[in-house]
Amino acid sequence: MSAFASLAAPLAGRVLLACGALALAFASLHAADAPAPKPGDIVTNSVGMKLAYVPAGEFDMGSAADEKGHEEDEARHRVKLTKAFRIGVTEVTQGQWKAVMGQRRGKFEGDDLPVEDVSWTDAKAFCEKLSKAEGKTYRLPTEAEWEDACRAGATGRFAGEKLADLAWFDDNADGKTHPVATKKPNAWGLYDMHGNVAEWCADAYAPDYPSGTVVDPAGPAEGKGRVVRGGSFASLERGCRSASRSSTPAAYQMKTVGLRVVCNE
Amino acid sequence: MTKQTSMSRRQFLAATGAAAAAFTIVAPGSVRGLEANSKIELGLVGCGGRGHWIADLFMKNGGYQFVAAADYFEDKTKGFAGKFKVDEARCFNGLSCAKKLCEGKLDAIAVESPPYYHPEHAATGVEAGKHVYVAKPIAVDVPGCQLIGDSAKKATGKKRVFLVDFQTRANPLYREAVKRVHNGDIGKIVSGEAVYYCGDTWGNPTYDNTSAEVCLRNWGVDKVLSGDIITEQNIHALDVASWILDAAPVKAVGACGRKARSGSGNVNDHFSVTFFYPNDVLLAFASKQFGQGYDDIGCRVFGPRGTIDTHYFGAVKIMGEVPYAGGSVGNLFTDGVIANIAEFAKCIADGKVDNMTGPASVQSNLTTILGRTAAYKKGEVTWDEMMKAAEKLEANTKGLKA
Repeated sequence: MSAFASLAAPLAGRVLLACGALALAFASLHAADAPAPKPGDIVTNSVGMKLAYVPAGEFDMGSAADEKGHEEDEARHRVKLTKAFRIGVTEVTQGQWKAVMGQRRGKFEGDDLPVEDVSWTDAKAFCEKLSKAEGKTYRLPTEAEWEDACRAGATGRFAGEKLADLAWFDDNADGKTHPVATKKPNAWGLYDMHGNVAEWCADAYAPDYPSGTVVDPAGPAEGKGRVVRGGSFASLERGCRSASRSSTPAAYQMKTVGLRVVCNE
Repeated sequence: MTKQTSMSRRQFLAATGAAAAAFTIVAPGSVRGLEANSKIELGLVGCGGRGHWIADLFMKNGGYQFVAAADYFEDKTKGFAGKFKVDEARCFNGLSCAKKLCEGKLDAIAVESPPYYHPEHAATGVEAGKHVYVAKPIAVDVPGCQLIGDSAKKATGKKRVFLVDFQTRANPLYREAVKRVHNGDIGKIVSGEAVYYCGDTWGNPTYDNTSAEVCLRNWGVDKVLSGDIITEQNIHALDVASWILDAAPVKAVGACGRKARSGSGNVNDHFSVTFFYPNDVLLAFASKQFGQGYDDIGCRVFGPRGTIDTHYFGAVKIMGEVPYAGGSVGNLFTDGVIANIAEFAKCIADGKVDNMTGPASVQSNLTTILGRTAAYKKGEVTWDEMMKAAEKLEANTKGLKA
């Protein structure tokens, strides 16, 4: 598993917020004894889960009306994320799920395969149990955090030139999940954002994004199911786009949907 | 199987007119920069049954005011003017009624005339710089569809809204389900079916195809003025299929007939067409407009991982590995129009003139014409052949007043 690339390239479509803790962190970059994390810097937790650093910043969420495959629920708007966070470098694997929850889950079988067949409620329970075990706050990403992490500074349909290089999807997955991190990572070192399994987000789903610039959006109080993001092994190309949105009732378990965790920084 | 309601289009119109909720979506002062509470000044082109029905919905929206009316027949505009308080000096008749209406001061027109005249009337509105709301079907032939496509583009260039009134495309359940299919929730599409089954819609009007005025009054049973049932009515089913399949068919093979229809007129009462889409995707289409016992406007499309199932008077859902519960679309016939009327006002207020319903409606309308052409031939016709031939239907206009 390779780490992230340089700092400059990953931030092409993204602006860092030069305020508060982040400014302090960057100031300390020059201090030889305590380098601040850079986008994509990785730490490993108690169950071997690698978590990449995502600084506070701004990006354009959604897609332009002329993007191929654009849907009406993807209206492009500016999002400011004021808090840095860490996000799983990979989708939660079946091995990690078993280590935390005590039993295996998934329609497909393999410790290095992404866990699937878990409901949103199950995914939330996983985060809560992991939080308790480590004394930290693990949670599902907000939809905005997920898209920011998926894009990793990229503004196009995908976080790379060729989807097949980045993702297991309908064209190449043979109808099944594949071991995590076996395709190329995005610019922040995150794997499988565009495919393998789709991922639960924390937000309730509403088709209309708020207009104008939005700060730390967390979705509507109520909505039609919970947001699911990223393509899966079963998705067609347009469903794997960075901006593509879907939703599913919180109780549903599907072999196409798993999760990726966020840890508060 | 979805429970089907047995309700004729006319019963449906009668049942739904009073049920529409009133609401306002135009922000004060947002219409063309006018003063607070200004309304969109609207002219109705086509004051028949549907014209009256939709005019009620425009009024209930609260953002519109009818200021002019046009119809070939004077009795139609008189009736409309009385009901909707339009100055009779701004009512126009004869074949040039739409042109005369558009010469006056108004913001927008709603085209509810017989389908044969939709392209001409819509183009007249765009040329005059009006926003245009046009009923389906947009046209009865290839040149008409092309004129509508050009008008939608021209409207964008003139910063005018051009909206085609397809009810299903305004429905959130349909939108969500189709999006999911496009994203791959049923896998790569293999095949599908679209059906439009209903009873005799137009009854038994006095019809005499040697009299142009009689044809015009009874345009719904006239092949040329309506485009026949596959274009005039069945387009709802083929539009949904066209939307889901997200492509134009390569060719069609079909047949049609008129066997059980009791009423007058010369339209057919049943069609059966197989459409061939790119990547060897097959769509079986069937329709009937006679009899009793079974009504449905439905579309099912099959992929290796699931099926999307839609019903205009029922539910929309996806079944399979990645299910979508969807739900009942309710009174789509009215609610879809209410949504489109609201969308039209919003687009005018926001200056949103991408006019995306234009090209989508051209594709689905041409699909019905391809099916019709193949069915009339009782054989195979390719899309390219149809476009190359660009056959223009000619209505009987003998003796009609200018």
